[in-house]
Amino acid sequence: MTTRVEMKDVHKRYGSNDVIKGVDLQVEDNEVVVMIGPSGAGKSTVLRMINGLETTTSGEILIDGEDIAHPGVNIDKVREKIGMVFQHFNLFPNMSVLDNVTLAPTELGLQSKADAEKAGRELLESVGLGDKEDAMPASLSGGQKQRVAIARALAMKPDIMLFDEPTSALDPEMVGDVLEVMRKLAKEGMTMVIVTHEMGFAREVADRVVFFGDGKILEQGTPEQIFDHPQHERLQSFLDKVLNV
Amino acid sequence: MRLSMKRKHIITLLILGIIAIIGAFAPQTTAAAKEKTYTFGTDVTYAPFEFANKKNVYVGIDIDLMRAIAKEEGFKVNLKQLGFNSAVQALEAKQIDGVIAGMTITPERQQKFDMSDPYYPTGPVAAAEKGSKVKSLKDLRGKRVAIKTGTAAADYANSIKKKYGFTTVTFDDSDNMYQDVASGNSAACFDDQPVLQYAIATGVKLHLISKPSTMKYYGIAVNKGRNDGLMKKINAGIKKVKADGTYDKIVAKYLGNGTVKAQQKKNAKTQETNRSFVGLLKSNWGTLMGGLGETIELTVVGIICATIIGVLIGLLGVMPNKFAQGVATTFIYIFRGLPLMVLALFIYTGIPSLTGSKIPAFIAGIITLTLNEGAYTAAFVKGGIEAVDDGQMEAARSLGLPWGKSMRRVILPQGLRIMVPSFINQLIITLKDTSILSIIGLLELTQTGKIIIARNMEGFKIWTMVALIYLIIITVLTWLSNWVQKHMQA
Repeated sequence: MTTRVEMKDVHKRYGSNDVIKGVDLQVEDNEVVVMIGPSGAGKSTVLRMINGLETTTSGEILIDGEDIAHPGVNIDKVREKIGMVFQHFNLFPNMSVLDNVTLAPTELGLQSKADAEKAGRELLESVGLGDKEDAMPASLSGGQKQRVAIARALAMKPDIMLFDEPTSALDPEMVGDVLEVMRKLAKEGMTMVIVTHEMGFAREVADRVVFFGDGKILEQGTPEQIFDHPQHERLQSFLDKVLNV
Repeated sequence: MRLSMKRKHIITLLILGIIAIIGAFAPQTTAAAKEKTYTFGTDVTYAPFEFANKKNVYVGIDIDLMRAIAKEEGFKVNLKQLGFNSAVQALEAKQIDGVIAGMTITPERQQKFDMSDPYYPTGPVAAAEKGSKVKSLKDLRGKRVAIKTGTAAADYANSIKKKYGFTTVTFDDSDNMYQDVASGNSAACFDDQPVLQYAIATGVKLHLISKPSTMKYYGIAVNKGRNDGLMKKINAGIKKVKADGTYDKIVAKYLGNGTVKAQQKKNAKTQETNRSFVGLLKSNWGTLMGGLGETIELTVVGIICATIIGVLIGLLGVMPNKFAQGVATTFIYIFRGLPLMVLALFIYTGIPSLTGSKIPAFIAGIITLTLNEGAYTAAFVKGGIEAVDDGQMEAARSLGLPWGKSMRRVILPQGLRIMVPSFINQLIITLKDTSILSIIGLLELTQTGKIIIARNMEGFKIWTMVALIYLIIITVLTWLSNWVQKHMQA
């Protein structure tokens, strides 16, 4: 097993406010890690640190053994290997669905326009949106937008996929389609780090569940350990609240 | 690597900016004539010494005399109607080679400049509104008097204002000063005798209330310490034209035999015969269109340069780099904070007086517009980019696109759409702002209007025409911009 992501004693401080208070986290190749926890616990911040969207105050983040904060490291090259899906999709509204998907590989010179479009169509097909390639993002539903966003990230052929609450902004009936696409990805062996409030989904796809509280990892383990035998009192009360609504 | 990439962006932007500025300066180095050409500044209106005739060609004793001297001495002369005070400042700043503008030889001026031999007798006198109760200087007690900035007559008025107990108000040109008295705002004005006399003879409703206290003379000024013998040539030229009768012919051409009647007759030839709105419009059409052409040229070149600078500075302002942001903030702070007129004067007369190298008025005008309108443009470009959702940049960067590519392909296309109304607004503001550049003697629409009025005193009609021309152009621009906006949204 190779380690894809390794965080060592990572801290982040805004002024006098400690947001991340020493996080150690490893993600192995092909592993699906799901991060859960109350709002403001630091899950999203930690996720965004993995591809350098958030900076750290101290500690190290290694991607495939490479320290991303090192001055000699080109963060753009690191990001090419890490796909990211956002809560609010962040599709580019000024271009068509297919152009959203092909922009990065063509702009970075990784694929010819024709190759990128062929690959892009296949990706759109695989997320169930083969007929939407010419549509503009504004004409899509939330669930469709999020599936385009996943296809867009996959177009860079990433080694790791990060999902930042991918279903939180969706109408309930749209959630299933997006989770279905993610489920398929997990089965294909994609290394994934997911922040979500979908506990059923977490239990189903996660190899490991990580519980965050107050800027720290309070507990982690297999879905069975976390959901059926929670140890930490904060985790127990959290699960109580989210599972018994 | 990460840092050096950012630095590369900043350096590229800075270099582009510098190239744009140098490009704007470039034309001045191209002129290199064989026969030496000297540029002389003169007043906008100082009849009979300099004024525009009905074809709006500059004529007058100074103009003809300077040309005659140049012809005698074998050099070329380029006369610029800058206004008296601006001309003197431009000479101090070495923007021009000399001033011939009914400039009285005084000890102070002789200290500052080389003054030529005298060429016309003069002396400061006061004039009051025709038919007013002000009959002599004594009647001015407690009243306000109009003077013209930087003139010997103004110095004279200031030297006696305690004695006669009046206050002063300053104007930049003679006709505005006369109008202030004729309309009753000021009790009297001070100006040189030959000029006031000529003005009264040609219909300005004033009468003289004093006699010249001392007789003085007009001379031509050049900068001290020139080693090209220009002053020698001028003095030799004055001597020659006086000796061979050219000088007398020139004076007679404008003043006849010196009587009021002769002056009226001479003046009539320079004036329009049809004074109706349509008549004035017809006779001044070419001149007004010439001014409009200059206004449009300034606007178009100005807005292009301002847009380039504005976009570059705006981009610096959103770069993830403190130094770049500081440069942008400072640029916007300074050039948005400075009044356009101060900036124009600073560039046109301030900088050359420090460096000693000239900046042509048009170039100075363009630089002024570029910096001022560029600062406003930078501010809304920065704002427009910042108005694009942060998530867009994050999404682009998370795909591995570098900052520059993300900006160009994702952020700018969205930001520009937000900025379109601001760009159109800025174009209209720039068009209007060019009128302020009349201060550095650019013959754009406003300055053209001033000059026509200086000749024919038809302030209401001519300003109406000028205002209408601005409104028509702005209306056309607004229609055009609405059309563009509609088509961009489609």
